[in-house]
Amino acid sequence: MSTVREKKRYDLIVVGAGPAGMAAAIACSKNGARVLVLDEGKSPGGQIYRSVSTSPFAGDRSLLGDDYFKGEKLVTEFSRSNLEYISTCSVWMVEREADGSCFGIGVQYSAHSSGETAKSEVFQAKSVLIATGALERPFPIAGWTLPGVITAGAAQTILKSAALVPDGKVVLAGTGPLLYLLAAQFARSGVKIEALLDTTSFNGMRTALPFAFEFMRSRYFFKGLTILKEVYSKTRVVRGVDTLEAIGPTKITGVTYRKGSKAHTIKADSLVLHQGVVPQVNLTMAAGCDHHWNQLRLAFEPQTGDFAESSIPGIFIAGDNTGIVGADAAEASGAIAAVGILTYLGLPSNGIAVESQRSIWSAAMLGRGFIDRFYKPAPQFRMPGDDVIACRCEGVTAGTIREIARNGAQGPNQAKTFCRSGMGPCQGRLCGLTVSELMANELNQPVADTGHYNIRNPVKPITLGSLAALQKIKPEEEVKAQRLF
Amino acid sequence: MSNNGNSTEVEFTVIGGGVVGLSIAYGLLREGKTVRILDEGDLDFRASRGNFALVWLQSKGFGLSDYSVWTQRSISLWPTLSNALLQETGIDVGLSQKGGFLLYLDEDGLEQHVNRLTILNQDLANHRIPFTQMDNGELQKMLPGLGPDVVGGTYCPLDGHVNALRLFNALHKACVNRGVDYVPNASVTKLARANGEYVIETLKGTFGTPKVVLAAGLGNAKLAPMIGLKAPLSPQRGQIIVTEKLDKFLDYPIGTIRQTDEGSVLIGASKEDAGFDVSTSSNVMSDLAAEAVKMFPVLARARIVRAWGSLRVMCPDGFPLYDEDSSTHDAFLVTCHSGVTLSAAHALELTKEIAGGKLSDQSRKFGPQRFENV
Repeated sequence: MSTVREKKRYDLIVVGAGPAGMAAAIACSKNGARVLVLDEGKSPGGQIYRSVSTSPFAGDRSLLGDDYFKGEKLVTEFSRSNLEYISTCSVWMVEREADGSCFGIGVQYSAHSSGETAKSEVFQAKSVLIATGALERPFPIAGWTLPGVITAGAAQTILKSAALVPDGKVVLAGTGPLLYLLAAQFARSGVKIEALLDTTSFNGMRTALPFAFEFMRSRYFFKGLTILKEVYSKTRVVRGVDTLEAIGPTKITGVTYRKGSKAHTIKADSLVLHQGVVPQVNLTMAAGCDHHWNQLRLAFEPQTGDFAESSIPGIFIAGDNTGIVGADAAEASGAIAAVGILTYLGLPSNGIAVESQRSIWSAAMLGRGFIDRFYKPAPQFRMPGDDVIACRCEGVTAGTIREIARNGAQGPNQAKTFCRSGMGPCQGRLCGLTVSELMANELNQPVADTGHYNIRNPVKPITLGSLAALQKIKPEEEVKAQRLF
Repeated sequence: MSNNGNSTEVEFTVIGGGVVGLSIAYGLLREGKTVRILDEGDLDFRASRGNFALVWLQSKGFGLSDYSVWTQRSISLWPTLSNALLQETGIDVGLSQKGGFLLYLDEDGLEQHVNRLTILNQDLANHRIPFTQMDNGELQKMLPGLGPDVVGGTYCPLDGHVNALRLFNALHKACVNRGVDYVPNASVTKLARANGEYVIETLKGTFGTPKVVLAAGLGNAKLAPMIGLKAPLSPQRGQIIVTEKLDKFLDYPIGTIRQTDEGSVLIGASKEDAGFDVSTSSNVMSDLAAEAVKMFPVLARARIVRAWGSLRVMCPDGFPLYDEDSSTHDAFLVTCHSGVTLSAAHALELTKEIAGGKLSDQSRKFGPQRFENV
């Protein structure tokens, strides 16, 4: 029997065309695997190398820096590989098919015009690599839902793909290397940065000290120093910021911060917030892979083996969504994952030097121990005051989350029942960590025991129409779902 | 009596903090009893978290007409419960009892449903289920936006729905206000009767209580035999899809589709035997979506914000199960799949029987003895 779906069966489907996904796809296709890569971007590269092949800055490389254009080589090799690539699509499901033989991967293509409904499709694959990268840690402060408050990641996406920067007075606030990188890139593009409000806590700096020597030997040290020097020379940096608030009637007009006991207010038309990135785990969670809480990085991370195996045979996980590793380590982890995948498929894994990839990985990881501690976001920026909104979709405040925890809700899933937090269109992507930490703190128990929202397919807001249309590609003899009525 | 530290002494311990357990606890508190609820944790199978929130009559009772009578009793008590919860907690549970529909896309399905209602009504004498069969044109008048593929349906004026999350919150808050001792994360590992009381070992320590009510959903299957009661229960998975909030387009609940007072549309009513697996599956979800879109084409463009699988608590015949220790009068079991619909009857009537130590003849019709001769 040959159905449409069976014709679309691949050896490997890779979700995400960042460094990890591309490296794995290249290596697997070289060894004879039939590979499909599904990507949300318009072109391969992921967030780090977004639009690198079509960059509006190709003429002037200094603005985005060498690390960005390093992606060109990988993207070129990827584009020349014998594999299929679909851009601008969302993967909303990874599930094991009922007969257990393979996985079903649900994809929705973006609607081309407002009048057209988006279309969905389910592909089948013997194995899946989930390389969905990172997303920004939520940064819940008073006023963060005001128009004009954006994340550094969003600002960088617009800069990389469309060469657009915020107008007017811009304030950057938060902590982490990306914030300083963006400050440097903004300054080079002529953005008027009123101030960079650095929230890095002295406590984090102290715990990072024992790792300083290792850090000084890493590639981050020199690079970081160069960027810091550049930012300090052009931008007003305020260190030791303890509180932050975006103010304004209907859109942001200013930022109030407190340093020590003194409060200051500065005018702003945009506030760009950032306090690090965390693994994007919705798809691996919905697929049923095991995850654990990483107390150092303050994030949930999937369990993986030596060759990127998840807890589910046939599902592999590589790159930043296994724990933040950075582009070089992600690329190496993709190549290592390819060995695991090819072995699982019963194919040879020629041309992948595992040991040298592992040393690239180790070299790239050198210094992370310092960075993870130094830039650990302070508690007041992760677990805000009672009046601050935690769940943006449903408008649930941190105070409400604390109250329901006191009244008996034991974790984020009961929080949904009690106050609708996490039940909006983002499916808890934006508030998951905040709610888990708030509840754990209120219940005085570890976050690991408090847990995370149950994430279920579909993990992206596909339309009912496109879900309904999947019917047509199913074999007719398949049994219809039984009904209660 | 063994106890863990400073826990208060109570007369009743209700095992289970879902809608059924909370309704029983609330009713017992109203009867002036002292109550403790032992609940489980965040990740346990919680049918209350997955329900469709219908307060529903027209599809129930075929094969046991007493179930229809009991359901009608609960439906008539629902406004009382809703008002009491509003007064005690300030939470409006969003009860709407304007009637509801079952819609069919095939003639056979419609015919079977109408035949069953007709046969059931012959048994029901004074408690007939009022219903009207309608064709597509008649349905259109009450359900604008209805698709052309709907061949017909039935309207029952007694059907309705509530906001399930607010009901859950209101019951919880009402119990707290009335002084319940609510103990979460207290999965019961052992239950035994000794020296005239029950000793309940849990993950949160050991609790003693003179009287116990098992309302632990599927958990009852394991707990009931420990004290000589019976609960032949098994899970039946239902999957539910929820859309983004839409402008009001549906004034009445359909058995498989309802729009909440907040605007989201719930689509559900699949049933599968999937063991204790609560995941969703694209085959079932796409079937549910396809039917919903045929019934109301406007739904095609609605974005799905979440979907889930949940486990119904099912007896072999699908009806409620009530049991008691008829010699000691101090242990009861209450379980059913329609915990929302029966919430009012459980809170306002069944608990009077439990408080008095004896189930009524009417309630005993839902006893486990009905499985013995099968």
